[in-house]
Amino acid sequence: MNDIFGSALIAAIIASTIRGTTPILLAALGETYAERSGLLNLGIEGMMVAGAFSSFAVALNLNSLFYGFLSAAVVGLTLGLVFGILTITLRVNQIVVGLGLTIFAHSMSSFLHRVIFGNQFPILFGAGGTNEIPVLARIPIIGQAIFNQHWMVYLTFAMVPVLYGLMYKTRFGLRVRAVGETPLAADAAGVNVNRIRYYTILLGGLTASLGGAFMALGDLAFFVPDMIMGRGYIAIVVVMLGQWNPFKVCWGGLLFGFALALTSAMQVAGINISPDFILMLPYLFVIVALLLFTRSTNLPSSLCVPYKRGADGK
Amino acid sequence: MKNINLNALKPAALSIVSILFSLITGGIILLIIGKDPLHYFSLLFARGLGTSLGVTETIIKMAPLMIISAGLLSCFSAGLWNIGVEGQFLIGAMLTGWAAPMLSAALPYPIYLIAVLLLGITGGMVWILIPAVLKARADLNEIITTLMMSWVAINLVTWLVKGPINDLATVPAQTKLIPLIYRMPPIPFTRIHIGLIIGLISLLATHWMIKRTTLGYQFRVMLANKKAARHAGMNVARLTVYGLLISGGFAGLAGACDVLAIKGLFQGNWNPQYGMTAIPLVFLARLNGWAVIPLSFFFSFLAVGGEFVARDLDVPAFFVHVLEGMTLLFFAASEYFEK
Amino acid sequence: MKNKLLIKMIGITKSFTGVVANDDVDFDLHAAEIHSLLGENGAGKTTLMNILAGMYQPDKGTIIAGAQTVQIRSPRDSLKLGIGMVYQHFTLIPNLTVLENLMLGFEGGLFLDLKKAERKLNQISVAYGLSIDPHRMIRELSVAERQRTEILKILYHDSDVLILDEPASVLAPVEAEALYHTLTLLRDAGKSVILITHNLNEALAVSDRITIMKSGRKAAELSGGMLAAMGASAASDKILGLMFGAIPATAPPEVAPVLEDDPLLELKDVAVLNDRGQIGLKHISFGIRKGEIVGITGVSGEDQRLLAEIIGGQKRASAGSLLYCGRDITRLDIASRFELGISHITADRINEGCVLDMALSENSILQSYYRPPFSRYGILNQSRIKSFTDDLIRRFGIRAIGPDAPVRTLSGGNIQKLLLARGLSGRPGLIICNSPTYGLDAKTVRFIQDLLKEESRRGTAVLLITADLDELFSCSNRIGVLFNGEIVGLMDRCHVTAEKVAKLMLGLS
Repeated sequence: MNDIFGSALIAAIIASTIRGTTPILLAALGETYAERSGLLNLGIEGMMVAGAFSSFAVALNLNSLFYGFLSAAVVGLTLGLVFGILTITLRVNQIVVGLGLTIFAHSMSSFLHRVIFGNQFPILFGAGGTNEIPVLARIPIIGQAIFNQHWMVYLTFAMVPVLYGLMYKTRFGLRVRAVGETPLAADAAGVNVNRIRYYTILLGGLTASLGGAFMALGDLAFFVPDMIMGRGYIAIVVVMLGQWNPFKVCWGGLLFGFALALTSAMQVAGINISPDFILMLPYLFVIVALLLFTRSTNLPSSLCVPYKRGADGK
Repeated sequence: MKNINLNALKPAALSIVSILFSLITGGIILLIIGKDPLHYFSLLFARGLGTSLGVTETIIKMAPLMIISAGLLSCFSAGLWNIGVEGQFLIGAMLTGWAAPMLSAALPYPIYLIAVLLLGITGGMVWILIPAVLKARADLNEIITTLMMSWVAINLVTWLVKGPINDLATVPAQTKLIPLIYRMPPIPFTRIHIGLIIGLISLLATHWMIKRTTLGYQFRVMLANKKAARHAGMNVARLTVYGLLISGGFAGLAGACDVLAIKGLFQGNWNPQYGMTAIPLVFLARLNGWAVIPLSFFFSFLAVGGEFVARDLDVPAFFVHVLEGMTLLFFAASEYFEK
Repeated sequence: MKNKLLIKMIGITKSFTGVVANDDVDFDLHAAEIHSLLGENGAGKTTLMNILAGMYQPDKGTIIAGAQTVQIRSPRDSLKLGIGMVYQHFTLIPNLTVLENLMLGFEGGLFLDLKKAERKLNQISVAYGLSIDPHRMIRELSVAERQRTEILKILYHDSDVLILDEPASVLAPVEAEALYHTLTLLRDAGKSVILITHNLNEALAVSDRITIMKSGRKAAELSGGMLAAMGASAASDKILGLMFGAIPATAPPEVAPVLEDDPLLELKDVAVLNDRGQIGLKHISFGIRKGEIVGITGVSGEDQRLLAEIIGGQKRASAGSLLYCGRDITRLDIASRFELGISHITADRINEGCVLDMALSENSILQSYYRPPFSRYGILNQSRIKSFTDDLIRRFGIRAIGPDAPVRTLSGGNIQKLLLARGLSGRPGLIICNSPTYGLDAKTVRFIQDLLKEESRRGTAVLLITADLDELFSCSNRIGVLFNGEIVGLMDRCHVTAEKVAKLMLGLS
């Protein structure tokens, strides 16, 4: 019984938290920009699935992790572009497009998986793996947990301050914030509203897809159709809780990563509850978190509203 | 002779075009993976529509689609997006699977039927209650909350079926099999159960509700301009709860019908994923109850045909969902021409 | 002394669905001049300037700037030519600071150099006598401060031409004076100003030239010198004639004598929070009697809206009580108040007052749908609703294709008529009208004012909230002024002058 609270378990939970946070955080960082500019990307879930599947299939077939990640990037950018064309240029309802993309990407991935692999679920050997950071990894207990992770984990967390700086200290970030709040004013100031939104949704698609790729290539080393299991939507919740601020989004992501880690820890620790029951908990956790933490103000005012110059005909 | 209003036909035409485009694109996808699309589609039509088995199966499968669509119609007309219908469906189905064997012994047949269906409706409503209240009180996005509840449901029912409500007499985890005499009665002279009638009634009742009642009128104002609804004194919070509860109830009812009529029991790890079909369907039908009928026939036939053809041509049944997703995307694109 | 010709617009034509907003209009601008564009609502002034500012593209016509023909395809093109516009509905971004708003679009590099921007802002502030704290968030600024920021923004972008769209409409008289002073300073410093206005006195006071537009066409162009030579009242008459053609003679104000002494509606020390959660109105105490028109005015549109909403029920009082027919209605919701006979006709016609995409008939029952004959046991009676709508269309002269036409197809004036028709159809005991004639043409304005007077003659109590002082004086029995969230001064009309009201609006007494 003592071992349950032993240092090994704590280290394992920390490591698992960081690993579990990564795909959600990655998707959430891109979604932060998309939502800040006024786009609600419900296709995020589908983009994650597409990224996971494409990276896995390509990596397996070409026997190259690099090409796997590359194809996930391409797929993510493409899906983001499709979302963009429909919602920005054609100004169609974002919710319908997002749902359509998710249904399409999700079923397409399952379909292609069946076509390519039949009923098998092959494992990609050589996937996963970690890179140790020399000195820091020797810190007792947490050293191994934090500094011995897959390179994408480091990349993801490193992106947090970068994207924060981008949002608040650069021209691009200023324009994103302006466009999401008052596109008419941004347009009058000469900002190309639609172009900014294209950039953010491309970023969103890219990060969501890479998040999925990390799960397939960096974390699990295989693909099953339901592996994303709502992480894309959890990312949307994380963005809301983090008030569209990359640092706060990071904390939100860690919160859910922790919840996910706890559920697997419970199974490992031999607590005698059925895995199905444990699997429910992260989603209940989301609802509780939404209840407790959401302050409903400060939504980007143009969220979900397509922009057309002179739409009011004044 | 009355002049046909071409403008009124435009929405229907756009929906049909969306379907055509997705079929064509689907064909291209089949080509890319090395299958013959013409062969596939002709076999699909032959199996789905050509045989009496196919047609019957299609009509049977229509029922849950129509019921869920009725539920989606109700809430979409109010601008409420109940995307987690699958969770409510499963809860209704599970409750039915669990309670039916017990109730069938205790109650006379007609009362038992009604009781079991009511149970399904209640289950669906209970399951959407939390998202409904959260939306009404705190304006929490119902897409996320219903989806989260849906994932909870998927795992919850599996856990329950493997545990407390398991019929230990059988090896796979499932509830006690409902004997044939206690299933949903068929329409006289056919093999089709009355779930179809329930579906038709649900759709038409919903359509009527939306167009002709004060409740439906308030829903429509909510969708078109929530600010105006509030300003006029409509109780938007209460309407939100009503709209979501109604749609949850229908989803639960669909689950009950499915168990009662088709499966006769409830299994773990079973999710026919009607939501993935019903959501694009209702959009394509432009929120019109009458249009849902032919569309649900079409989608049901695709699914049934897809199942049959899957075994023969080695094209997974998932393909149908791919078509559904593309249809929704093409439909979304076609909205551009609506403007 | 002729100034250099800066901009020439030739033959500009622009149509929107069914409406010709600009019909072969010519307009030119010299350096260092204040050129007013005068006309009533719908004359096409804003459209013309929106074309110059790059928001719209003309269907026909050319624009010459600096001796070259130019294509202005976007606001950015316009800014590059040195033209900047201050819109009626400001284009500042609430959640950014003043400095960030100024920098937007002209950041000068990938990274934001806030220090450099601040220095430039200081230079401009000093040069033109306009100061503002660069690090404050826009949403914390007052309306006059925001307008100042807008002007600073244009100067920050090195523009030589400033276009202002009805700038004084959101300012108190004293603030407007300050604005005119600023404009003359700008002109003397070599900038050019195009002032869009429907206010005749304003145009006369400040302009070097006045171009008058009527129904999408250019009616005339008059120079300041010409007008000064004519004398004030002759100039007014000439311009009015050009703007309106034949105006219906304004009837002498005939407001019915009030019959009863007991108030129908009474507010006692009412306070209400605004949208940001701060105290908006406080210590509001007054009453309205049957058959009386009480006119309320003030500088803050938001305060006026709060007053309307606190009575209509859209906002809940945070303190005090409201009584209607002696009954405490403080806690009653909107629908219940409507049932009692309180009808609130909102200032926000298209966002709150109606559902644009629905038919007239569906809009006409927006508040009364649950009542017979429109519905029984929850089922709508479509034919009754339709005939009711037909009746409204006929009685109120609403120009529409039919009861099934979407409200979107109606003009602003007809939408207002619909709202009034709807509000009046239930025979309410109290009508609250917030800015009922804002932005409408003279004929419709007259119609609506007559309607309200007719209602009061029938015994209905009317609360008329308006920023139009002429309307205030011609319609009200009593006049009250809102200042800083309180009612300062509520007097019989015969005891008040326009000057007194203007002073009260600024808190001077």
